[in-house]
Amino acid sequence: MRPKIRLSAAVVAALVASVLTACGGSGGSSDPGSATSGTINWWGWTPTDTATAQNYISAFNKQYPNIKVNYKLVNISDWVAALRPALASGKGPDVFDMQPGAYVTQFKSFAEDQTSLAQQALGSDWKSKVAPIGISGLTADGKLTAMSVGAVYAGMLWINGNLFKQYNLQPPKTLDEWKQVCQAFKSHNVGCFVQGAAQEGFDQDTLQSIANSVQPGLWTKASTGDAKWNDPGIVKTLEIWKDLFTGGIMQPGAVGYQQYPDSNNDFLTGKYAMVMMGTWYTQYATTKAMTAALSAAGVSGAKPFPILPIAFPDVAGAGNSSEMYGDADFGLAISTKSKSRAAAETFVKWMTTTTAGQQVIADQLNDLPALKSVTPDFDSIQLVDPASQKSPVQDLVTKVGNVTEPREALLSADVQTAILAAATSVATGKASPQDAANTLQQAAEAAGETFK
Amino acid sequence: MFDIRGRTGKVVLQVIGTVLIVPYLFPLVVMVKGAFAGEGVKNFSAVLSVPGFGRFFLNSIIISAAVIALVYAVTMMAAFGFAKLHIRFREVYFWLLLACLTLPEVVLLAPLFATDTRLGLYDTYWAVILPLSALQVPFAVLLTRNFINGLPNELFEAARVDGANSLRGFIHLVIPLTRPIAAAVIVFTLVAAWNDYLMPLVFLQNPQLQTITLVPQFFVGEFSNDQTKILASAVITAIPEVVAYLSLQRLFERGLSAGAIK
Amino acid sequence: MTASSVDEVGQRSVQSAGGVGGRPNQHRRRTHRPPGLPWILPALILSVGLIYYGIGYTGYISTLNWDGISPDAQHVGTHNYARIFHDPVFWAAVRHTVVFFVVTFVIQTGLGLAFAVIMHARLKLAAVYKVIIFVPVVLAPAIMAPVFRHMFAPDGELNGVLRAVGLGSLAQPWIGQTSTALPVIMFITIWEWTGVTFVLYYAAMTQIDPAILEAARMDGAGPVRTLMSIIWPEMRGTTVALAILGAIGALKTFDVPYLVTIGGPNYATEFLGTYIYRQTIPLDHVGYGAALSIILLVVALVMAVILQWAGRDRKARD
Repeated sequence: MRPKIRLSAAVVAALVASVLTACGGSGGSSDPGSATSGTINWWGWTPTDTATAQNYISAFNKQYPNIKVNYKLVNISDWVAALRPALASGKGPDVFDMQPGAYVTQFKSFAEDQTSLAQQALGSDWKSKVAPIGISGLTADGKLTAMSVGAVYAGMLWINGNLFKQYNLQPPKTLDEWKQVCQAFKSHNVGCFVQGAAQEGFDQDTLQSIANSVQPGLWTKASTGDAKWNDPGIVKTLEIWKDLFTGGIMQPGAVGYQQYPDSNNDFLTGKYAMVMMGTWYTQYATTKAMTAALSAAGVSGAKPFPILPIAFPDVAGAGNSSEMYGDADFGLAISTKSKSRAAAETFVKWMTTTTAGQQVIADQLNDLPALKSVTPDFDSIQLVDPASQKSPVQDLVTKVGNVTEPREALLSADVQTAILAAATSVATGKASPQDAANTLQQAAEAAGETFK
Repeated sequence: MFDIRGRTGKVVLQVIGTVLIVPYLFPLVVMVKGAFAGEGVKNFSAVLSVPGFGRFFLNSIIISAAVIALVYAVTMMAAFGFAKLHIRFREVYFWLLLACLTLPEVVLLAPLFATDTRLGLYDTYWAVILPLSALQVPFAVLLTRNFINGLPNELFEAARVDGANSLRGFIHLVIPLTRPIAAAVIVFTLVAAWNDYLMPLVFLQNPQLQTITLVPQFFVGEFSNDQTKILASAVITAIPEVVAYLSLQRLFERGLSAGAIK
Repeated sequence: MTASSVDEVGQRSVQSAGGVGGRPNQHRRRTHRPPGLPWILPALILSVGLIYYGIGYTGYISTLNWDGISPDAQHVGTHNYARIFHDPVFWAAVRHTVVFFVVTFVIQTGLGLAFAVIMHARLKLAAVYKVIIFVPVVLAPAIMAPVFRHMFAPDGELNGVLRAVGLGSLAQPWIGQTSTALPVIMFITIWEWTGVTFVLYYAAMTQIDPAILEAARMDGAGPVRTLMSIIWPEMRGTTVALAILGAIGALKTFDVPYLVTIGGPNYATEFLGTYIYRQTIPLDHVGYGAALSIILLVVALVMAVILQWAGRDRKARD
């Protein structure tokens, strides 16, 4: 029985090799194959629906008709579990999504260095042509593990324009104003602010924004070890965080909510007037996306309303404007074990460095394109209420082009877990802000973060 | 079987039953309500028109059928062996088997992947069928062994006296008499195989081989979540399982009737 | 066969139903049984063969400090195990698992038994009840999780119903509180699995000889007495099996607590299963996760042996 199994394994391996190798290649892993024909497998958690991915691929095929791209959608919650064995075995994807932070650390040894690819495509001054936030987040050990496709930024709020207008309220600019707005909404039985406080990512955004209001740049410093997590500024951040809960801003039971679908649906169905989302939410400013989202939230026949971006209020009252921060949403990495490397490089180049590729990305309004020269084509995009939305949205897009502060790229998974523990323990009253900050500092040290 | 005489008895039991069933019905109502929210029946047509849906459905059937067949055959034999035959160190083998149940699925992914690639099974149905069966067998053996234990030894001894060897005893006694528990095992194996998500995700690369558990993925994104379609797909996915359960229902009814003893 | 030997057989089936490994023939000389090893071999090959490599692999990497993918792993021997004993989250998870197991097992078993008895009594709408109690078993937790979060939300259906019947003071954020999050998880699990206990008890009850029940009724035994003295003891084997499966299931439980509450708020619903997942996948502490898995395996086996021993027939084995 044994020899039969070995034989069929060899047959299967040979078949796989011949399928993945481009025409006439020797089949060995050192042969990159042809740059204009072949088949590549692309695994990603985003684009989050295959239809969008197919759009990108068809646009790509207009220029390179002989490269077949197979997109496999793997939900982000299963990403690590699925990709680890796949990459390790060599039977995995040729091109795969890469996100700054924990994923770069995990998968960097399987990603090709794409510095030369960037230079070939954009010239030796390529760094000035792409958003800086996309480079730093995806670089590890001196190697550019992936080319950024687009970035997302956070540190702002989105409000329901209609609800604010209906009750004659102005977007809050300070913590007190925020509390007043919330009380006003409450008196009309409308929810004020909704957040999926059970989840690390979104709590982290809120905390980072509060910290930026307390002391700009402190959060980043703590992330790199240049400041401690129990710095008085962080303690103050946690105190203000607690105030959001006790002061009636956060919705009741917030620590049991998840952002998707709970908070998202509550905001879109008009139950709450404010939500903390980032630039990826811009897509819901369009009629098409909002209508689809409303139907997805279970509302039939609802009319879309305009969502407006507003700056995060100056909750610390120190006069600082809370700056935004961001990361590459995802980049495309090329597997070191790929047998169609040249074709993979063509695809990655097209998606990340050509105007054609980046424009398709930009017009989705989900990511802001990595290539600086490309902006969304607002003339062809249909907003729900252009009169109130066009100006703020365009301002937003321009503003974020200069953001350099990272969002999650610097935090290891362990520190992120500790941040969530700090946030929820303060929110539920189980720990005081000072104690929570001390615990967070200890956890960060235990996780290996070194502090000056 | 338990005939309750008297109207009060019947009414009391009916009331108890209804009261107890309400907490089970409540979430189901919420869920079905959600499946029809938004676009209503169009949710279901959206799910059915996911590209490749028919193919996914077929793959799920193939995989589940293979797992059921494999698990049933292996389990019946093993449960018979454990319950009625002589094995040295029987309990040791039994605990060995039971230990397979204790590892969480996620921990098995990496070693299973290595085994699959070494055996050339990656990206084939077998990469999913074999692990799923291996994980179901201990559970099924535990239940079936217990059931077979309940079958009187006299039956087997009588058969042996009549000259039948173990195999004939197995075919003519065990298989027919274990119908109730076999039906239970089949239903549970079907549910486990039909609903399994992680193995098809990791071990099947070719879209032609993907299963129906992948369909909700089409509606979930990093920044979006179409609850209505997901719930609609849950309803659609559940239907074959409920149908199988109902069809096997009558098998639960059979018991140790006098006819069987004869 | 005559009626009296049916009776005899019935008596034996009562005796032999006790204990998974019990032997009923204490009054007979043990007759020769044919060899059974070839019969259990396929099961062993399939399960042990496929899974034991996984167990060995897990055991090996539990001695490493590794993130699951990078080529350089550090050998740390039993260090991971030592860390586990000082890990407060581990002990919290253990506490939750124990409470969870006891509560869900008792309620699930009780309800499953009750439903099995009720269904066997052939009431009206029995078919409908059978479906309602089973459908939760087939619904994937991943899909039901948001439904439950919505149901238990401060403005969700449960609170809505409470307010409607005048119990509005009980309305609270069930999931957003550390005090009520675990009961919610237990409720969901019971909802999901009662169908299993029901099916198994129902199947086991078909093995009860109706003649015995008839005889009991003739003797004037009421339904409760019949339940306690005849039906319940016959279910012993099934109950022990369910206890073992329940214990292992509780140790492994992952889907519901992870998807509904992500182990929170603040680790209030952290279980061994979720902790292992969290350590292995998002945190990349594959070695530590493996050590936790080995501990889970050992505890599970010990529990299974204890449960089996506790549930065996009080008669002496021959």
